[in-house]
Order: sequence, then C-alpha cells, then structure tokens
Amino acid sequence: MTMRHHQSPPAEPARVVLLGARGFIGSALARDLTRDGVPILALASADLDLSMPDAAAKLAGSLRPEDALLFLSALTPDKGRDLATFMRNLRMGEAVAGALQARPVAHAVYLSSDAVYPFDTGLVSETTPAAPIDLYGTMHRARELMLQQNVKGPLAILRSTLVYGAADTHNSYGANRFRRMAQKDRKITLGGKGEETRDHVLIDDVVAMIRAVLRHRSHGTLNLATGQSVTFDALARLVAGLFSPPAEVNHTDRQSPITHRHFDPAARRRAFPDFRFTPLAEGLARVHREAPIA
Amino acid sequence: MIGFAGMTHLGIVSSLAATAKGQSVVAFDPDAALVAGLAGGRFPIDEPGLDELRRAAGQRIRFTSRAADLASCDPVYVAPDIPTGDGGDSDLGPVRRLIEIVGAAAGRSTRVLLSQVPPGFTRAIDDPGLYYQVETLVFGRAVERALEPERFIVGCADPGRPLPVAYRAFLGAFGCPILTMRYESAELAKIAINCCLAASVTVANTLAELSERVGADWSDIAPTLRLDRRIGPHAYLTPGLGLSGGNIERDLATVARLADAAGTDAGAIRAILANSLHRKDWPLLRFGALSAGRTKDLRVALWGLAYKEHTHSTKNSPALAFLAGLGSAAVSAYDPLVRADPGFHPGIQQARDPLDACQDADALAILTPWPQFKTVAPQAIAAAMRGRFVLDPYRLLDPAACRAAGLEHHVLGAPELP
Repeated sequence: MTMRHHQSPPAEPARVVLLGARGFIGSALARDLTRDGVPILALASADLDLSMPDAAAKLAGSLRPEDALLFLSALTPDKGRDLATFMRNLRMGEAVAGALQARPVAHAVYLSSDAVYPFDTGLVSETTPAAPIDLYGTMHRARELMLQQNVKGPLAILRSTLVYGAADTHNSYGANRFRRMAQKDRKITLGGKGEETRDHVLIDDVVAMIRAVLRHRSHGTLNLATGQSVTFDALARLVAGLFSPPAEVNHTDRQSPITHRHFDPAARRRAFPDFRFTPLAEGLARVHREAPIA
Repeated sequence: MIGFAGMTHLGIVSSLAATAKGQSVVAFDPDAALVAGLAGGRFPIDEPGLDELRRAAGQRIRFTSRAADLASCDPVYVAPDIPTGDGGDSDLGPVRRLIEIVGAAAGRSTRVLLSQVPPGFTRAIDDPGLYYQVETLVFGRAVERALEPERFIVGCADPGRPLPVAYRAFLGAFGCPILTMRYESAELAKIAINCCLAASVTVANTLAELSERVGADWSDIAPTLRLDRRIGPHAYLTPGLGLSGGNIERDLATVARLADAAGTDAGAIRAILANSLHRKDWPLLRFGALSAGRTKDLRVALWGLAYKEHTHSTKNSPALAFLAGLGSAAVSAYDPLVRADPGFHPGIQQARDPLDACQDADALAILTPWPQFKTVAPQAIAAAMRGRFVLDPYRLLDPAACRAAGLEHHVLGAPELP
C-alpha cells in the first residue's frame, strides 16, 4: 500500500502519545517534539509496562480522540532473541492494538523494522512481500497486522532499517558498534571482508521523517531507508577515518553467508518529495562531533 | 465491400489500410459527431502516413453513423475501444454492444472481431459467423503495420472449416501467412505476443540498470544480442521506462488472473509487472540524486507528457509518474500533442516549444521520445538552462554534444561518465 496523507496542509498533532519514550529513537523524538512545543504524553516501560495484562486498559484510559499515538516500544534483539522475548513483544502489541480498538485516536504510527523482509529479495520496496526469517521480524509483522486489524483510522507503518546516532543504546553490528570499537581498540574488526551492503539512517533523519508522517497524518506503509546502501567495509572505513590517527579496519574469516540489502526509495520520494536524507559521510561526521572520542 | 464498425485508432487505420488494398469500405461509428469529423478529414489520431493514406483512399471509403449501411459489406470488422482499468481489467461492455449492433445490421455477413478480448470471450458469443482476428496495432507505427502485417491470426469456432471466401480473399490481398486456429488459441496468441515483448524489454531494462552500476553500456550490448539468431534483429531490446500505454499491462494482468484461476505459475509475469513499476521511477530517482540539497525554487523543464511518441495518451506515462513525485518544483512542459494540465502537477506551465521550456531551468527531463526533440542542439539547451542536469533516458540527444555543451547527460543503460 502506498502512503497517503490525510492532513493537508500538514499540521502538528494536537498531542502525541509516545510509547517507548526513553529508547534511542523515542528520547530523540521526545526532545524534538518538546522543543517545537508539541504536547506529548511520553510513556516508557517504567511508566506503563505494555506486557502486563492490564496494559491495554491503562493505555486506553490515557488516550484522547485527537491524539496521535506513536508506538516505538519493543524489546530489540540485543535484549533477547528467545521465545520469551518474542511473546512479550507480542503482548505489548496486543495491548496497544486493544487500546486503540477501545479508544480510537486521530492517527497511529508504528515503528516497524526491515526485519520483516527476507534477504533474498534483491531490491526491497514497500511492495516486497514481508516474509520474516526470525522471531524479531515475525514479531514486527504480527504487530503490523494486529494494528491494521484494530485501527480504523489513519495508520502509518514505518519499516526502519539500521539507525545510527551518538546516543544509541544498542550495540548491533554497524555504525554504532564500529564507533565503539574504534574508540576502545583503535581498530574495527569486520566479519569477513565486510562485503555485505546495508542502508544506514541517521537518527536525526528518522526523527524528521516521523515528524513529517505525523504532520501529514499519513496512512500506509513506508520503508525508513535512504536508498543508498554501502558495504560494511566502506562504512567501517568512513568511521575509522573520523579518528586521528585513523582506526585500523581488520578482516576476519567469514562465518556466515554474504547478504545484501538495498532499498528502492521511490515510494518515499512520492510520499515526501522534498525530504532529503543526510549523506552517510556527513551523518557519521555529525555523530562523531556530538559524541567526541577521548 | 468491407465494413468496419468502431472508428477507433484501430478501426480508422484498419479501414484505410483496406482501401489501400483496393477495397471499397464502409466505416461506421454510432457517434455522429465523430463520423462528421472523419468525413471532413479531421482525424482524432496522429500516425505517420495516415494523411497520405486518407488522401489515397479518395472515394473508396465512406464514413457513416448508420449501422444499416453495413448490410452490403462482407466481411464486417468490429473494432471498438476496450477500456482498461488501473488494475489491467477490461470493460467488455462496449464490444458486446457493438457486436449486437453489427449482428443486427449485417447478420448474414462474416463478422470479424478485431479488438482484443480475453480467452473465452468470443466462444461465449456463440455465433459461428463470428471470427476473431488478432490485431497488432503499434501506436506510432500503426499504418506501416496495417499495410504490411507479418501474418494474420484468425480465431474460428471450428478451425477445421475453411474461412468464408470473401474473408479469405480480403486477407489474401496482404500477401502474408494466414494462421487459423480455435478462438481461444487466437485470443491467447495475442496475449502471448505481448508477454514475449514485455519479457524481452524487461530483460533489457534489468540489464540496462545493472549496466549503469557496473560500468557497462547497454547500447554496446544490445547489438550483440540482435546478431544472435535465437534473439533476432527486431527484438525489443531498447531500454525504456517500464511498460506504458495499458495494453501490455492489461495482458500481463490477464495472464496472472487466468493462471491464478487455473492453478498455473505466473511468477515470471508478476516479476515483469514489478520491474516495470520500478523502472518507471528511474527519472524520479535519478533526479532525486541530482537534486539532493537543492530543493529551493527548483525549476524543471519537461519534454514529453504522452506515454510514447505520436499519441495523445498519457496512460501510465513515465512523465506523469515523474511529476507525481517531483514535489514543490516549478515545471515548464512541452509535448507536441498533450497540453500541460494542472492535474499533472500543481506547478506545471505550458511551454511554447522545447527551448522555451528550458529557460532558466535547473534540470531537463526528456520523458517521451518524440523524434523532433532529437533536433534540438545541446548547445542551445545549455544556453537556455541555468542548471546542467539533463535526464535523457532514451538517449535522444547526442552524448558527445551534450558533454561538449557542458551538460550532465544521464541516459538509461550507461554509467555516469565524467
């Protein structure tokens, strides 16, 4: 489904209910919304544990019809890849879908993941069939379907690829971990020769895109990716070059098959023609400046 | 005397082609205003050679809005337009109505359905006097193909019976093979032709895109394929911006639908459709890369709005797909047959000619391969524009001349050269 906008001209939502407000993306969004004077109800797991049986009722009690609900909460793979984590993530989805069914809001936005796509599809677009290959991707796909079933109004599903930024709390393989490796060991060690290609999005751009989706009250599915993929080796060398002297980039024996991911950005260009992603080198340099290395 | 019912693009060209073979023709359409225009020499279509054909026809063609005038004709062709929806579905109501009108007026004559219908349609009419003849109209080459068809494909209720004498005699005047077969085979043959063309051009588009990324030039490669006897000199190997016009897309959708119902595999056909949508975005994506960070007061010159040259049709036009994702730019557009319409883009303005469109433009996109665009000098384009970007997917402009003029010339199937 291509993305359609339900609010023209675009305008800020009356209030944003932000679920997952203390995570990497959530906290950046909360700061951005607050800076611009957009009323928010920022909820983190400490405020409302979405995996608890009474979560749906509690959340519904906080919702107003004019709200935009932004659902970012998830236990990411670094918190666990087991069945228990999967089921807990599903219960969180069930709670949010249930609350939205009980108390519909003006707009719902779900931050999903490109993990819903398999790796053997070549160029990925929004029409690429979602066929997740692990529990994390399956969880996101299941949550998308839960929300699509229960939300009758505008619902935006944003499938995000790898996000990098100075305040990243995760340590998944990519720009954030490479920065830490370079900082700690003055060298970045890659799996194999780092041949795999991936798309990397700067946190600022993720925030800006979500803000645009909120302002347009957009409906449909959109991949949150730049459309410009690079190899991990190229990424590592960009990160390494930010250090003085440049960090080493080391290769190791390959342990897993090479996979690639490229995104077709056409749907995003049609939905938001004037939106521009920060070029990778520029974004990495900005992150480096924001989180200077000792 | 040969009759034609339905003065569509297909009907007009086919009826005039019949006169070129020495036949007298009655050309019927229920639309009296259309008929009056045709009788007055005002044709709603543009095809190379059409004016000459009309002049040569002289009194051998008579346009009429009276169906009864078809009574003395044998055979009578039925050639209405068959509207196609966005999903590739056909509205068969108009063809059914025209078959009924012709049946009532010329029921004793052989009637030949010329408009494309899906497999099973003709047999369901249940009329042994009705034949289905495959049309292979190509916009922009319609006259040439109507006068010199490669073959006739004729669907019959019973292919074991010989064709009616008058019908066979008429077809024989064209001097090409006549292949008779069951209705269903002929109906599917037309779809098969379009599937093969689509497959061929999709292979070209796929490898042209890869060429752009790996430093190859598809224009070097295509001639090597044309010299391969298994592929051939006329193969559809010129890269383009996906499938447009609606007809081939309709046929692909028909195959997918029939295959789903029949339980056969149509994955390859769906892949063609997906690739078509992807390649249609080439101008938008290339433009996006070019214009990154330069969105303020962007002015775009656009040459071409029609989905291809020599037509008014904008169905699935790459130019309109480009405009849909262009954003807040100002657009100055020129197409020889299609007027700039605010419905295409809120910032669009009509230009007087190609160079007028280029005045102060940051970028030029040439999205319909009209031959007259080839005659515009790159030096003049460069002088008119304030920017240097030229998106020329069909390579209408000479790359060397563009480079010499300082233009950044982007074409399908070739890497960006310094």
